[in-house]
Amino acid sequence: MYQDLPALTSAVLGLSLRSFTYLDGQDPVLHDVELEVFPGSLTVISGQSGSGKSTLGAILAGLLPRHGMDELVGTISVAETQIEFSKSSTPRVDVSQWARHTGLLPQDAGHYLSGIRGTVAEELAFSLENEGVPREQMHQRVQELAQKLHLEHLLERNPQELSGGQERLVALAALAMSEPDVLVLDEPLAGLDQQASAVVSTMINALRAQGTAIVVLVDSVRAWAHEAASLWSLEQGTLKALSSDEQEQQDKVTKETSRSVPEDSRVLLSLNSVNLAYPGASRPAVQDLDLEVRAGQCIGLAGANGSGKTTLLKAIAGLLTPVDGRLETFGDSGLLLQNSSDQLFERTVLREVSFGIPKRSPVQQRVPEVLAQLGLDSYAQTHPYELPASARRLVALATVLVRDPEILLLDEPTEALDEVGEAILQEVIRSELERGGAVVLSTHDGDFMEATAHRVFEMS
Amino acid sequence: MPRTINLHPFTILAVAVAVVTMTTAASHWWLSCAVLGLCLFISGWAGQLKKLSILSGVMLLPTFLSLLLIHGLVSRDESPAIAQWGPARVTVHGLEVALSLGLRTAVLVVVGLLCGLLIDKHQLVAAIDLSPVPPQLGYLLAATLFLLPQMAEKQRRIGEAQTLRRMGTGKGITGWFQRVRLRAVPLVLASMQDAQDRAVHLSARGFPATATRTRLRTVPDSQVQRAIRWIAIVVAVLGPVLILVLVLVQLGSK
Repeated sequence: MYQDLPALTSAVLGLSLRSFTYLDGQDPVLHDVELEVFPGSLTVISGQSGSGKSTLGAILAGLLPRHGMDELVGTISVAETQIEFSKSSTPRVDVSQWARHTGLLPQDAGHYLSGIRGTVAEELAFSLENEGVPREQMHQRVQELAQKLHLEHLLERNPQELSGGQERLVALAALAMSEPDVLVLDEPLAGLDQQASAVVSTMINALRAQGTAIVVLVDSVRAWAHEAASLWSLEQGTLKALSSDEQEQQDKVTKETSRSVPEDSRVLLSLNSVNLAYPGASRPAVQDLDLEVRAGQCIGLAGANGSGKTTLLKAIAGLLTPVDGRLETFGDSGLLLQNSSDQLFERTVLREVSFGIPKRSPVQQRVPEVLAQLGLDSYAQTHPYELPASARRLVALATVLVRDPEILLLDEPTEALDEVGEAILQEVIRSELERGGAVVLSTHDGDFMEATAHRVFEMS
Repeated sequence: MPRTINLHPFTILAVAVAVVTMTTAASHWWLSCAVLGLCLFISGWAGQLKKLSILSGVMLLPTFLSLLLIHGLVSRDESPAIAQWGPARVTVHGLEVALSLGLRTAVLVVVGLLCGLLIDKHQLVAAIDLSPVPPQLGYLLAATLFLLPQMAEKQRRIGEAQTLRRMGTGKGITGWFQRVRLRAVPLVLASMQDAQDRAVHLSARGFPATATRTRLRTVPDSQVQRAIRWIAIVVAVLGPVLILVLVLVQLGSK
């Protein structure tokens, strides 16, 4: 268990930001932000999607402001050096030098990995290779770090074949290889099952124990509040210290009153001894599965990464045919995929939600209605890629809802959603159930599962 | 389980280049056949015979057919015809030309494919990284070799998402074109976004290196291999010139 280090007074990273404006922005995205980070400390910054968390993370990691483009007014103190930014001068930052003091792990950890190395050991050594560190020394440092962070078993694995949790561990270790004073982690536990979350948390604690300061950017402080040295909320572009009342408010989980489902309600989905396998796979992903879902029911699929939750949802949606057993649906189904960006193809939100719907179809009339239901009407003419992650996830949900499915299938629906988005999602599920539909969802978010599912089906 | 050759990738490539240039310059059917036979033998030893045969067949069959059509069937040379169907006539000379060109092309294709199957991609990238060429070249090759499969996976996921929205589900050649059209734009956009997202982190990890760079991976090399590479390069450059000179001398003496 992590224990607080003796108080060390000198900050390893300091930010005094008066304003930050993007090149094409009218108003500052961030203003009046004061932050100091101390060795071995855990600083948690929460904020809604689009609040500027990622921008703040990129500023701390030296990736913003882009030289000659964005405008930052303020000072950043890093490694006993104070860098002044003003309207008239934006010093050019050597990103690789900065990364030796402050590193950033993006939410999609895969983006941090080079993607061109054959083993995890090589991936860990990537930054050392670019520094020209002699091979023997690199080998030693990789072994030492792997031992310290309990990653020895992964060293010879192909980075392309890692699970989501393992990928995040490797990215975190690769980040730690340069021994930076500060690590900025953007949603480090998002999309991980309980076991993977515990391993990542253990690694974070191990890094803190070495004296590395950790700054975590999250939607909700819930999982971090008990360990954090300081808790902040990013609201309207500025940082505010979270009071204990506000922390409690964020800790609170909206628990809906359990709705009873009539036992004689219509069966919408039935699976009998179903086996599912991907083409060419040596063994089935799902074996001998029995499940019945009735109108008005919300079923939660639980289980570790790789237990077949996504496979089952794809099979119900008709993307995969069972190799054995009987799968019957008695109504249209619609599936929200895990990765929103794979589900978006058009240049505006309006066109995106209308994609694939014939022009004269009555379904077209539902488009504005669905956009309003999800609070997206003001984004109708915006490019989906320009939206904050939470709104983008809701656009993907809108593309499913517009077809009015009777069986709503949601794969990790809370991933990338902020609290407002999560409330909208809960409302969508409630209205789907009230109108006699059914919902099957898979999630690692235990609180959300508890709040929404009538029954949890454990996949093994 | 396929076997790999524990040689420096540049050694394999240098020998391959020498073999292709010499075979092409010599232009003897028996030499081309011998090289092809040797390639099949090596691929059999490496456990890659089936793969090499299928890939070569897919590439060479249309090549041979087109050469036969151009030189064998509609040849305008004056040599006596073996068979004739209206304007199409098969001549001995036409068949000889088609076979000779086909065999030379076959050597190029089969040797190239064999190199692709024998050389470990990661070893090749490491060898390029450790050579004095700009680091971007190694990354470009690596990105092409390793990110293409990732793009294929992304394309599959986009296809799934479009199927869910009942788009791109047509059958036959029209359906195929529709799928290509529908997937192309999101695939390019997503790949560009991906490249942009990766680029900032690559910079943060010191890529491209400004000074000397090293690699954790070792690439096997030796004095003997270095000598073989030099000899192969000399043969690849001077061999065809020597053959040309010999041919010219022979023609002159006649």
